Amino acid sequence: MSENGKKTMAKQKSNKFWVFLILVAIGAATFIFGLNGRHPERAWQAYLINFLLWSAIAQGAVLFSAVMHMTKARWSGPLSGLSESFTAFFPISYILFLLLFLGKAHIFPWLHEDLHGKEVWLNIPFLFTRDCIGLLILYILGFGYLFNAMQLKLDPNQPKSKLRQSIYDAWKRNNRQPDQIRRRMTIWGGLYILAFALVLCLIGFDLIMSMDPHWISTLFGAYHFVKAFYMGLGALIILAAIIRLRQGEASRLNASHFHDIGKLYFAFCLLWADFFYVQLLVIYYGNIPEETHYVIIRTVLAPWNKLAWTVFIVCFIGPFFILLRQGVKTKPVLMLIICSVVIVGLWLEHLLLLAPALSHEATQAIPLSLSDGLISLGFLGLMAFAIGYFLKVFPETIRVKESN
Amino acid sequence: MPRERHIMGLFRDEDSVVSAINELKQSRYKFIRVNTPFPSHKIMDALKLKKSMVGWFTLCGGILGFIGGFGLAVYASTQWNLIVGGKPVIAWVPFVIVGFEATILCSVFGNVIGLLTQARLPSYRWLRYYDPRCSGEYFGVLAACEIEQEDGLKEFFQKQGADVKVFE
Repeated sequence: MSENGKKTMAKQKSNKFWVFLILVAIGAATFIFGLNGRHPERAWQAYLINFLLWSAIAQGAVLFSAVMHMTKARWSGPLSGLSESFTAFFPISYILFLLLFLGKAHIFPWLHEDLHGKEVWLNIPFLFTRDCIGLLILYILGFGYLFNAMQLKLDPNQPKSKLRQSIYDAWKRNNRQPDQIRRRMTIWGGLYILAFALVLCLIGFDLIMSMDPHWISTLFGAYHFVKAFYMGLGALIILAAIIRLRQGEASRLNASHFHDIGKLYFAFCLLWADFFYVQLLVIYYGNIPEETHYVIIRTVLAPWNKLAWTVFIVCFIGPFFILLRQGVKTKPVLMLIICSVVIVGLWLEHLLLLAPALSHEATQAIPLSLSDGLISLGFLGLMAFAIGYFLKVFPETIRVKESN
Repeated sequence: MPRERHIMGLFRDEDSVVSAINELKQSRYKFIRVNTPFPSHKIMDALKLKKSMVGWFTLCGGILGFIGGFGLAVYASTQWNLIVGGKPVIAWVPFVIVGFEATILCSVFGNVIGLLTQARLPSYRWLRYYDPRCSGEYFGVLAACEIEQEDGLKEFFQKQGADVKVFE
């Protein structure tokens, strides 16, 4: 690429960073404005939904790389490298979780309720301790996997920045051979996969299911991590589509990559719907009032039934029929649109799960307004900033050889 | 009686097969078929076949299975009109299981029927002109010509770098 070309691309990239930071500023401003308004719990509700959504996206996307490595898959090619870029969001996600502590009075409806013995599990110190430790373990395992995975991709003769130089020094100290590195990747990757399942189950139970503390569904944690992988794959497709559209042939992402990951995405659309249906069927057949009130409020009664049907159509029926055709999966623009719409749908799904418990007064209208959208834009800016920063510091991620 | 001679050229790599097919199609000899020991994208592209209809068979099977599965469950429930645990007689939530499984079953049936009909299986027509080396390490390109042109076709294959097998 010519010097001029490099300069314009660098300027384009720094322009992008300003756009992301502006989005973050809009989101933060809306959030703080909401906090000082009449309904701070609405602002915290939006914060919680977005924290869960974007953290799950990052965790699920990184899972793709770990799974591809563990199964010795070769079809993913550059996609595995792209998915590792989502680890950049992990530190941001952790800080966002810690900030959740500030809103505990508005987020957790069970703070002053009689929990009939569940206080042993649902109390603020224990909840935050176990979730902090869980997320820390998950993110450390993710970074451990990344540390080893990067070693096989990066060119040590191009330090470019202090961060890279310190990583290179660590690699030189360890002085490992490629097959040793791959074995370590297998170990870290396997532990990450295990931690993903366990920690996301924990988060699902603690931060979503516990909002209605008298309702349980055993599969709820697993439902959350299946949803996380579904969202992570969607975000990976969006990122791959953006890279492909901007770089064309140089991205080394061709139609067969999109076709393959589109098929995997279709499979997880089915799996997510299946995990939802399995919980629904059991509750439907048991017809125990303790369990059914949660489902009835969200799927049968107004105003939530409209939202429930919207979520079902946007996140399952739509993608199912659209993604049946082979042609759709191979076109990056179409997949970008479809996956974005599905992520918006899953945002609404989080709203559907959380809002009836968090906003008791909302019996007429769904508590959804422009401020929720603006706060979400802020989180989108954070995610885009994290990934953009990662791809700037490690541009080799986009140019990866076929086999891992 | 057709006075045709069938000759098979046996190649060891796909690229020479692709060039042989392309040249054969432009020559006066009749290209019939290729036997490959493994599926090859390059050869498939060179053959320029029409798009397969098997997907439509699968879709039709799936749609019929979906309607059939739900139909079976609805029909069975309405025969007895039992109210189980306070559920309606026609309860869509549990019927999804029957419908889903029937969709998968019938779409698989549709796929298999599509495969058999579109590939015209079982096919005994070309068994006569088959060399067992085609399941080993050779690709077999089958062509036909007039009896008089037999030597020309043999030379054609040998120029492409293939072993030649002449069938009666």
